[in-house]
Amino acid sequence: MTVILLLLILGLGIYTLFSRDLLHGVIALSALSLLSAMLFYILHAPDVAITEAAVGAGVTTIIFVWIIRHTERKDRC
Amino acid sequence: MLMKRSLILPFFSLFLVAAVTLPVFLDETAWPESSRNYLEAEGVRESGARNLVSAIYLGYRAFDTLGETIVLLVAVTGTIGILKKAGAVLEEQPDFALPGEKRQSNFMRTHLLETVTGKLGPIVLLFGFYVMLYGHLSPGGGFQGGVVVASGIVFLALGNRGDAKSHLVRQDVLGRIEALAFFLLLLVSISGIFTGGGFLDNPLKQYTSMPAAFIVLLNIIIGLKVGAGIGVMCIIMLGKE
Amino acid sequence: MIERLILFLLFLLGFWGILAKRNVIKKIISLNLINSAVVILFVLEGSRIGDNVPIMEEGISRVVDPVPQALMLTAIVIGVCVTALSLALAFRLYKATGTFHIDEIREKVGK
Repeated sequence: MTVILLLLILGLGIYTLFSRDLLHGVIALSALSLLSAMLFYILHAPDVAITEAAVGAGVTTIIFVWIIRHTERKDRC
Repeated sequence: MLMKRSLILPFFSLFLVAAVTLPVFLDETAWPESSRNYLEAEGVRESGARNLVSAIYLGYRAFDTLGETIVLLVAVTGTIGILKKAGAVLEEQPDFALPGEKRQSNFMRTHLLETVTGKLGPIVLLFGFYVMLYGHLSPGGGFQGGVVVASGIVFLALGNRGDAKSHLVRQDVLGRIEALAFFLLLLVSISGIFTGGGFLDNPLKQYTSMPAAFIVLLNIIIGLKVGAGIGVMCIIMLGKE
Repeated sequence: MIERLILFLLFLLGFWGILAKRNVIKKIISLNLINSAVVILFVLEGSRIGDNVPIMEEGISRVVDPVPQALMLTAIVIGVCVTALSLALAFRLYKATGTFHIDEIREKVGK
């Protein structure tokens, strides 16, 4: 089970870096955080799971969406 | 081989980093068990908390927690300073307000978001306080409850309609809560010296058989600090005044 | 063993993203990836020596090592502080130069 979750995490990480739309990348980062919170619960670490879920899928996504909204959304590079 | 000039340097440095860190990842020495054995035997009696993770970051390694609160303070101060100078203010864009409504609304925000988050905000705050207060008996604690409280503050900020704003989403109120929590943390950590211990020691260890009250107090203070700090960062970024 | 290799690849992916990506936001996302990889590695290694949640109820023995979990709590909160501060700096860069591309920023800042 941990191997499947880790492979999904790696796939989401690759998609985050190579997507042309910044908002899609940020949503993939939020999904990566959710999957790692599930992984922490499976590994008998509930404190780390609560913190990672609230921080990664909450606060980090909010501040990334904020900056994309106030600047630009396409990765022109 | 058709390789761009600009890609040689990243791949070469990547190869160097891989060569240095691969032995660390492939090491097969067993993880040491002595700390786990000691904490299983003595952790609950020495600190009063059944949750061993809380016993560690509030009892055995409380200096790390103090340093982390200082890092949070510096990050919040830096973010406020940089964003105030750059002028991150609310923009006037065509909104979704119904005719006849006198409220400020943001671009692309519909009534669905405001209704749901306005109703859920107090419930999330309540859950955050519950997680903070039960940190020594079940999974939870200062950091966890603090970030859930920060999410609750963001819910309240997203969900106010018209003039029904709560005081918790104002920047000066949150800033004062954070500064007060940091001051209380310093006071509480010095209080161990007056009863014969050291800095950040538990002052109740000799007097009562329930040294868990100190852990609960520390959890509340750290939770308020983390919640107010991350909350004020998010409020500034959302552009509310 | 294979889990460690996957985490190693995630770490290398984040490091490559910092070096080779031209967009400032992608660099900050790569910082987050490195942070996630290290946190998962520590919690994974600490969970090998036991099979119970580290909360001492009656009759619980052989708990998971709680020391890496306590360290990673602090690491996650510090990671979000670093991300917030670096995003504030990137916002300031955008307001000053109008772009996120590092080559154009270097031209406009003038060096």
